Amino acid sequence: MVRITGNFQSESPLHPKAFDVLHAAFESGWADPAKLSQSGAKARQLKNNALESIARALSVGVDSVVPISPTSLGYFLGLQGLFVESSTLIHGATDRKEVFAIAAKNPHHVLKSALDGKLIPENTSAKQSVLALQIANAETGVVQECDAINASTQSERIFLDATTSGIRVPLLDQFSTALFDSKSWYGPAELGILIVKKPSQWSNPLPHLNAAHPNFDVSLPLLLASAVALENFSTEVENADAQARKFNQDLRSAFSRVSDADIAGSLDTTLAHMLSVSFLNCNGEELLRAIESDGFSVDSGSACTADNLQPSHVLAAMGVLTHGNIRITIHPGTTQSDIDGLTDSVIKNVIGLRQ
Amino acid sequence: MKEIDARGLRCPQPIIELGKEVSFMHAGDQVMLHSDDPATEPDLVAWSRMTGNVFDKKSKDSFVITKLSER
Repeated sequence: MVRITGNFQSESPLHPKAFDVLHAAFESGWADPAKLSQSGAKARQLKNNALESIARALSVGVDSVVPISPTSLGYFLGLQGLFVESSTLIHGATDRKEVFAIAAKNPHHVLKSALDGKLIPENTSAKQSVLALQIANAETGVVQECDAINASTQSERIFLDATTSGIRVPLLDQFSTALFDSKSWYGPAELGILIVKKPSQWSNPLPHLNAAHPNFDVSLPLLLASAVALENFSTEVENADAQARKFNQDLRSAFSRVSDADIAGSLDTTLAHMLSVSFLNCNGEELLRAIESDGFSVDSGSACTADNLQPSHVLAAMGVLTHGNIRITIHPGTTQSDIDGLTDSVIKNVIGLRQ
Repeated sequence: MKEIDARGLRCPQPIIELGKEVSFMHAGDQVMLHSDDPATEPDLVAWSRMTGNVFDKKSKDSFVITKLSER
């Protein structure tokens, strides 16, 4: 088996500080924070500290922070919870499948995407509309012009999908609910942070007996690890993004010299650590495997790599080539040598597969 | 008009077959592509933009491609 030396997948190992705290957290944070015992009180204190730390890093009130697991549940909670009987959902063509699933059950209107991945603002006349707004796309990293879209739809109820943007892009001033993914700051996977900023606009859409502050019982050690990861990544993100931007520019320059390469979005309008590129007449699965055999892991949005053999709805909505696609995520530990090696591998294998 | 039957082929094969045929065509020539792969239609949009050619959807699985560019 080939040793993978460069990880460019969207997933990555835990932040080292979070990894350190996880072991200790399982030792001291095993009790139920809701119980009155001494161990329960200690766990409750740890949980409160974690929630306060998360709230501080996200610049929101601690009462608005609702940890959930898995993260995908947050789409239903955060979005469906904003609906009233006559609501129409307005969302983007490049949103996650979870949003499309909610749209399928409700009156909805889809905002189209331009070639650069930006949603095209529309003046909709929908009353009681709920706007689902993805701050940055999970496949391409394209950052939306949230203010312009919000102004065009004039929705009073806004759900922000911050699962990919994390703390890299500030939230809109006005929103109702927002969803973060702990992975975006190198915390544990499958832990989401739902922010309920306007409790008067939100109700728990799951069956419940108690209308008080919702509690979805996430693993306390994972919550503690996430809080530590967030606290540390908050101090590192600026440098990490500056480094990633430089690497991203190197990759874009190299790939743009390859004939018939279709890069999704420009660096000016995408997250610095993400890049999606498609190569005409290349099989995405074969390209991904060939790159992996050189020791580099990447993701792909091509149909041949998907479970359902469907092309990426994001690339299709943008009008970007869906086959021969690779997605590259640049992590804080990525080195110049990793980038050079990946660049050589991609170009070599694209040329080889086209012959 | 020449026809390419790419039904049953998965991406990127229909577009590769189209590219081969188009390379022998002249500006103004047309070819009919039959493909039931779900990626073909979105990829024709991108392919047309990248190669400077155009396509017209005739039915769920059939597309007429007109060569405009001599590349």
